[in-house]
Amino acid sequence: MRQRSLIAITAALAAGALTLTACGSRDEDGGSDSGSGGTTVTIGVDAPLTGDLSALGLGIKNSADLAAKTANKEKVVDGVTFKVEALDDQAQPSSGQQNATKFVADKNVLGVVGPLNSSVAESMQKVFDDAKLVEVSPANTNPALTQGTDWQTSKARPYKSYFRTSTTDAIQGPFAAQYVYNDSKKKKVFVIDDKKTYGAGLAATFTDEFKKLGGTVVGTEHINPDTKDFSAVATKVKNSGADVVYYGGEYPQAGPLSKQIKAAGAKVPLVGGDGIYSADFIKLAGASGGGDLATSVGAPVEELASAKEFVANYKNAGYKEAYEAYGGYSYDSTWAIIEAVKKVVEDNDGKLPDDARAQVAAAMQGVSFDGVTGKVSFDEYGDATNKQLTVYAVENGDWKAVKSGTYTG
Amino acid sequence: MNELPQQLVNGLLLGSMYGLVAIGYTMVYGIVQLINFAHGEIFMTGAFGALTVYLYILPNGTSMWIALPLMLIGAALVSTTIAVGAERFAYRPLRNAPRLAPLITAIGLSLALQQAVWAWYPHAKSALTFPEIPGGPFHIGDVTIQTGDIFLLVVAPISMGVLAYFVMKTRTGRGMQATAQDPDTAKLMGINTDRIIVVAFALGAIFAAIGGVAYGLKYGQIDFRMGFILGLKAFTAAVLGGIGNIYGAMIGGLVLGVAETLATAYIADIPGMDQFGSQSWADVWAFVLLILVLLFRPQGLLGERVADRA
Amino acid sequence: MSGVGPVEPGEGTRAWDTDEPGAPPPPRRSRERLALWYSLHRRAALTTATAAVLLAGGGYLYATRPQEPPPPAAPYPAQVVDVTYLEQVATPMGVRPRTFSFAVVLSVASGPPVTVTRIAQPYAGVSVTSAPQAPFPTKAGSSRKIVVTMRVTDCGKTPKSAGLPFLDVTLRNSRAIQVQSYILGARYAQDLSEALQVACSNDTG
Repeated sequence: MRQRSLIAITAALAAGALTLTACGSRDEDGGSDSGSGGTTVTIGVDAPLTGDLSALGLGIKNSADLAAKTANKEKVVDGVTFKVEALDDQAQPSSGQQNATKFVADKNVLGVVGPLNSSVAESMQKVFDDAKLVEVSPANTNPALTQGTDWQTSKARPYKSYFRTSTTDAIQGPFAAQYVYNDSKKKKVFVIDDKKTYGAGLAATFTDEFKKLGGTVVGTEHINPDTKDFSAVATKVKNSGADVVYYGGEYPQAGPLSKQIKAAGAKVPLVGGDGIYSADFIKLAGASGGGDLATSVGAPVEELASAKEFVANYKNAGYKEAYEAYGGYSYDSTWAIIEAVKKVVEDNDGKLPDDARAQVAAAMQGVSFDGVTGKVSFDEYGDATNKQLTVYAVENGDWKAVKSGTYTG
Repeated sequence: MNELPQQLVNGLLLGSMYGLVAIGYTMVYGIVQLINFAHGEIFMTGAFGALTVYLYILPNGTSMWIALPLMLIGAALVSTTIAVGAERFAYRPLRNAPRLAPLITAIGLSLALQQAVWAWYPHAKSALTFPEIPGGPFHIGDVTIQTGDIFLLVVAPISMGVLAYFVMKTRTGRGMQATAQDPDTAKLMGINTDRIIVVAFALGAIFAAIGGVAYGLKYGQIDFRMGFILGLKAFTAAVLGGIGNIYGAMIGGLVLGVAETLATAYIADIPGMDQFGSQSWADVWAFVLLILVLLFRPQGLLGERVADRA
Repeated sequence: MSGVGPVEPGEGTRAWDTDEPGAPPPPRRSRERLALWYSLHRRAALTTATAAVLLAGGGYLYATRPQEPPPPAAPYPAQVVDVTYLEQVATPMGVRPRTFSFAVVLSVASGPPVTVTRIAQPYAGVSVTSAPQAPFPTKAGSSRKIVVTMRVTDCGKTPKSAGLPFLDVTLRNSRAIQVQSYILGARYAQDLSEALQVACSNDTG
């Protein structure tokens, strides 16, 4: 009797836990079958839909969904209905790889948008490349993903099926360093990162440039992203005499870190990359976060007419979550896949060829259109050719653009 | 400037929080030999309970001095309800089942609670801001103490004292000691062991709730995952101090907190240890300490005070 | 259907819309008045009527004229301007100490003409002049070569090597004035680093 009730309860709990998890991670893709008939092409989305980074991840998912719906409404590709299927990677490389395998197994998937984290991308690239399934990331900024691990000395593209619409840290870190050194006139930096692919890589490119400019690194620290207690680190920052802190990582840690550094008595700005450029950072950093800086990919939204339209459409579509930092890039990534599919279908007399995946991946190289974030096209490494970036400062509880740059090298 | 006093205070504050949560682990373990892995989530729901009181029950702009006691009550109510409910419906039916069954149940419960808050608490998908106690930081010599930390500094020792009095002096407290020693004999002596177990869960939950409020005040934000890592650390603290011993839980928490902080602050200064000194290595050093303690004192720091049944 | 109502109109069953035999028909009377007024003010009436018809017709035509879409707002200058690095060139107008020059190409893709009002670079120890001298306009669809001349004023405030240097170009068009940083890439970085080293190694100036 005891045994049976034990089994019953365990089963019930397990089922409960599973249902709850499923609630979050399954995409509501109702209504996609009501299209004009013909072929249905699935565009996969992989992003953290739960957990700390879900604010960014849900923005990516919704924006991809908006792009697919717009394409269906405007009948961008005749006879093809697009459908978005989103999987949750929880910002974990292992989950990302599982999702990649799942997408590869589904023959309807002709392209994948995502992921958010560079570390997750590393685990997915090979799976996609083996299947010649195209992957377009709206948010990965680690240079090695497109230019190989030795990107500083010799660039070599590791995977032909990987593309991205965002700028890389090879530009972002140095740009931040020059702003901090030349414009903010800060000469002593304390560099902190979270040891992840993105954070550590960004901190390294920043440090490199900051030293070249003549600045000093008065301390380095690697934090544990699982904790929220940074008091020991904050005390170290205060005693180091740094006049600025650079953090390579994401906002769930950066917000509390900024707050605790200021609470410890070090009234110095915290500077970060696109990973901290989120409204949530300002919320978490609190009132003392004024003056903190972030570089982010792309030009400010108000400068681009196309971005305004996207913002309006996003609002009208009634998504619960904000589009966040990568919404526009996600829309453009999805649209790039749609354009590639369009080209493949048009070249094949309006039908999908048998080796659609390989052809879509090949067509992606030649895609060019005016997207939300400006002109979208890819260079020989799969990087976006449009390399704009902007420095934002926290002012009165909001991010305000203070300097923009364009990479034309 | 000498950094040591500030780092010690940082460590003690972190440790007090570990201690508050560790008490729940140690009391439940002492009485039913169950590692209640859902305790971290009880701590988390306590913090959400307090936030609910502040956001949805109290009128906007209520002074923190009035709000705080009410938030504590709200936190304690939520935590206790969940803990007692878990005991009644999840653990009690399994009391005579093999050890592993309640343990797995606890892990399942922990996941379920996390996901429930994630799914159903408004805006809980990202971190939520927690109200703060107004007022600037206090400076004592080189040491800076935040207003949010004052709460922890005051409440942790007081509640610890109250608990000690309760366990040592009251009838129920002595009943708890007796049940911890030998539940069958205690039952024969007329102690309602079922009630004692409920009391142990409830007390642990109240301490977790206090810890949850302290966490919110200290860091200014709470999220649905906050209980997972902190629960693990608190469990470690309970083992370090000698699981089953309430003083051990507090001491273990303090030792763990100070060890982590000092490891972050000073290991990097030791020549040749540069790359092992950052905060990401602090946990490693804390667990090295745990292993060392358990090598020489397998029962934990204060382990001898409790009748060993394990 | 039979036997529903009185066959003969009884008291109160008479239809309301038939005129009372004795009552004079009012419309006819007003029509008579109108005719009288018309015969008296014939010319004025005709003029007014013509004017009204003309106004209405014109208004209709105006309102339904082929609608030209409002011209799209001019793009922000930074979104249409591209600056690329060409090469290091000989310093014009004689060799001054610690001075070196680079050629860059500025092109405007679309929109109204863009005027460069200032070219600067971020290092504190270096001053910049350009030929043509700012401000100078550039039309959409065209590009122009600019020679940027830098003079090192203080070697202490100059980096030993430049990692990813840029030019700050102040752009103006009818939409906005913007300072955009153009990061000119690795070749520029290398050339600039070499030039800085040369400039700061010989203590002639």
